[in-house]
Amino acid sequence: MEKVVALAGNPNVGKTTIFNALTGLRQHVGNWPGVTVEKKEGIMKYKNRKFRVVDLPGTYSLTARSIDELIARNFILEGNADIIVDVVDSSCLMRNLYLTMEILEMGVKNVIIALNKIDLAKKKGITIDFKKVEKALGIPVVPMNAKEGIGIDDLKETIVAMADGKITTNPVIPIYDELIEREISHISKILKGTPLAEKYNVRWLSIKLLTRDEEVIKLVLKHLGQEKMDEIMKHISELEQHYKRSLDMVIASQKYEFIDSLIHQFVTYPTERKETIGDQLDKILIHPVYGMISLFGVFYLLFKFVFTVGTPMQEALDSLFASLGDLVGGYITSETLRGLVVDGIIGGVGAVLSFFPLVFLLFVAISFLEDIGYMARAAVVMERIMRKFNLPGKSFIPMVMAFGCNVPAVMAVRALDDERDRILTMLVNPLVPCSARMVVVTFLAGAFFESHQALVAVGIYAISFGLALISALILGKFVIKGEGSPFVIELPDYLIPSWKTIIIHSWERSKEFLKKAGTIILAGAVAIWYLSNYPEPVGSGLSYAERLGKFFEPLTRLMGQDWKAAVSLIFGIIAKENVIATYGVIYGVGESEEALAVLMRQAMAPLQAFVLALVTTLYIPCIATIAAIRSEGGMKWAVIASLYDLVLATVVGILVYHLGLFILG
Amino acid sequence: MHVRLSKMKEGERGVVIDIQGGAGARQRLLGLGITPGTVIRVIKSSPPGPVIIGVGPSKVALGRGIADKIIVRRES
Repeated sequence: MEKVVALAGNPNVGKTTIFNALTGLRQHVGNWPGVTVEKKEGIMKYKNRKFRVVDLPGTYSLTARSIDELIARNFILEGNADIIVDVVDSSCLMRNLYLTMEILEMGVKNVIIALNKIDLAKKKGITIDFKKVEKALGIPVVPMNAKEGIGIDDLKETIVAMADGKITTNPVIPIYDELIEREISHISKILKGTPLAEKYNVRWLSIKLLTRDEEVIKLVLKHLGQEKMDEIMKHISELEQHYKRSLDMVIASQKYEFIDSLIHQFVTYPTERKETIGDQLDKILIHPVYGMISLFGVFYLLFKFVFTVGTPMQEALDSLFASLGDLVGGYITSETLRGLVVDGIIGGVGAVLSFFPLVFLLFVAISFLEDIGYMARAAVVMERIMRKFNLPGKSFIPMVMAFGCNVPAVMAVRALDDERDRILTMLVNPLVPCSARMVVVTFLAGAFFESHQALVAVGIYAISFGLALISALILGKFVIKGEGSPFVIELPDYLIPSWKTIIIHSWERSKEFLKKAGTIILAGAVAIWYLSNYPEPVGSGLSYAERLGKFFEPLTRLMGQDWKAAVSLIFGIIAKENVIATYGVIYGVGESEEALAVLMRQAMAPLQAFVLALVTTLYIPCIATIAAIRSEGGMKWAVIASLYDLVLATVVGILVYHLGLFILG
Repeated sequence: MHVRLSKMKEGERGVVIDIQGGAGARQRLLGLGITPGTVIRVIKSSPPGPVIIGVGPSKVALGRGIADKIIVRRES
């Protein structure tokens, strides 16, 4: 087995850049078991040696209060890492070393500090004596500027040396005041007699008990029993009364004091803090009014970029798949097989795959805004609005991305801090209309509401987005209860991002989309092809699809729709623009939108078209989005989201149709 | 003079005295360097939006709810 290197560190310290530099493209993105937290793993090869590199979630501390922190902490605690690389932002040492102390306090010895962003520290006028840092911390320290590749080889060299046992460390650990220290050794003595002492560092357990850490209390209780535990907790309460506050605060304060005294051994700070360009920018970007205006500007440009670059690529892919279908079709003599391959597999998967450029570009644009430091500002501006709907400010990002495509949007919920927030945002996300639904809405609006096309389209968008927010409000109140996390977010320094990091990140994310296209989407496409061709093809009235449509007709009737709508909506689950394409097949006009518009105008009234557009926007998410929800949150939430949207679409469809009938007389 | 962080004005400085409320929120603040004894400065505060404070070299945005729970000794 290759040795395991775990990367720890605060958010925004360049951990991802270092991870990429160590592993190159030999990486794999998944989830930590059972939770919606991203797990990145990769292989590092250096001088004929192989290491498995695990990227731990970026955290500021290691409490039991957030899933991310608990994951990182348990990974270290259970001894899963042979070597821990703690990435530290040298321009913000005080706060970064807090996590370092939390790690060292666990009693681990095999830690390397990757002292990153030394260029930024220098620019801020901070001078660091690297030799003295090593001496003060008692572990190897590698100065780095990972974005420029500086220090990467040194880091690899140090990892190998430590793996070979060539480095002896003597990690510093924080010392607290007399009262706390006395209590620590008191509890330590009690714990030493238990099996816990063999597996865990008793000093660490004692400190965590003092801070009333829920996980450690549970763990210790199992071994000590209630009586001894009460005794310890009584002591802790007395100490709390002495300090007049909970001990987590006391210990944190003293830890910072300890770090402060440590830092002064090797760092000199500039006397005066200068106002930076970032401070100037923030005056605009987090301003309640100018901030909102610039936010609209930024996201307008984002979509402008994505669609200007992406749409031609999407169209090119579309026709590529069409020619591929023709080409392959020419070689297949069996009509059934040709139908399966050309219409089912190439047609179905191709329809979804043609969205790949949009998905990839959306990720590029969002990663760019994230890495440059803008996303935290956007969250600040949106916080007061989103909070009214039970959502955190940050959830605004996936909600906006959804206008492009729901798949990357659902994947982007990983960036939220809290499990509840992630699930809630993910559930309502499909209600934000994506670009595929734009195709349906603009077609119907154009065919039926010529003079008011834009107004109708905007109306449908507004209803849909409004329902997403209201759903968040309702689901947040009754289904996924809880406060949600309080809004606490660091505003990182503005930085010029590394293109390599952005491209790798976007590729890793959009690769998941491709994988889905090859599996679940493929299966769905084949299933729907089968339904529409057996026992007789669509148009004959005998196909399973049409029978299904007729079966659901009583329901769609309530919304003023006939069986054709039911069939089209079923096919729309593959990709929403299929709704229009299916009408084309049923009416036998193929891809001619002109002809289809004429026929549909004869068959239905504007009100019915409006309802059809609305229902198409709201009902079951497309298969790729369902797959994304399943891989982020599990099968349960994928089913709940699908059912919820289906019921919502039905209810709204019926309501709007009858309301329309009433108003129009 | 002790005051809630949410009530402080832009440009004011102070020392954190206490953090009230639940352990979850408190411990997130501790990790960000906001503890009793920390010197902070208010960069932006425009209700009902978040409060932006400077903690050492870093900037942190806090929602109104949590800013209400941070007690600060104002420095003139």
